[in-house]
Amino acid sequence: MLTAHFLNSLVYVEVLFCLAALCAITLKKQWPEYWSLGAFLATRFLSDIILLPLLHIKLNHANDSVGHSAYVAYFYIYWISYAVESVLALLVVYSIFRLAMAPLKGLQQLGMLVFRWAASISIIVSLGSAFAPDMTRMRYLIAAISQLQRTQSILTLCLLVFVCFAIRPMGLNYSSRIFGVSLGLGVMATNDLIQSALLALNPHINSEYSLVNGVVIGVVLATWTAYFALPEPKRRLIVLPTTSPFLRWNQISQVLGDSPGFVAVGGMPPELLAPAEIEVMNRASRKMVVPFPRSISA
Amino acid sequence: MKIIVRSLVIALAVTGAIATSYANAASSKTTVTAPVNIHKTSAMPIPGCPPSDPGSC
Repeated sequence: MLTAHFLNSLVYVEVLFCLAALCAITLKKQWPEYWSLGAFLATRFLSDIILLPLLHIKLNHANDSVGHSAYVAYFYIYWISYAVESVLALLVVYSIFRLAMAPLKGLQQLGMLVFRWAASISIIVSLGSAFAPDMTRMRYLIAAISQLQRTQSILTLCLLVFVCFAIRPMGLNYSSRIFGVSLGLGVMATNDLIQSALLALNPHINSEYSLVNGVVIGVVLATWTAYFALPEPKRRLIVLPTTSPFLRWNQISQVLGDSPGFVAVGGMPPELLAPAEIEVMNRASRKMVVPFPRSISA
Repeated sequence: MKIIVRSLVIALAVTGAIATSYANAASSKTTVTAPVNIHKTSAMPIPGCPPSDPGSC
């Protein structure tokens, strides 16, 4: 009974922290940079606001048709919002990487290209590996979503490790919002992976794990609210030695994919040149004629 | 501070890697008997039963 009350209050805490984080992003005018995180929080907030009354209707009308209809609506809204949030979480990871690498444009472009390829291949592999013979559509969807969720969690943890270890060369510190958002995503990703493993080993702990989920999402939302509410320190000036491989790779990456210039090396007929160009070349040729020395002075 | 944060991040990454290997091993050995074995990180109750039969699980 105590657990049920605690869980019920955690639902309200989640809604409140979601709203607080959204307000902090809006008040600090962070929507242009963190639009994907804002969309993620807005989706979560809207789905919670719709799911809460449905949950109460279901509990109050447990054995009649009203309760059944409420459960059907709850079921679809829960899973549709989960699918939308999974896609948005992937976009949050992508945008955080883009923001973190903003000062190094070349490496940013290269990294985003690699990220897009890795994400696309992971999605294809997830959808392919979820398939098995004699599988119903429902089971295939569950397996595919499960694989996709693991893929997204692994990508998120990779981003967190990257941001944590490359934080100083990128001019950031641990008070930066980029780090705060990455940390929150990393905690959520780890929780998802642990939950996935525990539920695969023991499917009967579903309701117990809701408590852990409630606490984790509360902590993550509180962290994001704090990071957005508090003033962010300015990004430090990035100074790299001219011999730095980081700088060299950034320069190389910046010119990758540029359309090349062309140079004529031979077989060029004189008709291609304008009269003025021919005149310039003639005069230059005359200047290049060096008279042969008649005598060598001592 | 740096050491604490780095330790936390490494702990998260290692835990995630171990959990992934456990999840893969478990899902390759067992068939899925429950209607759903994933749900989002949220305090909202998980609708695990199919909509046609809400009381089945």
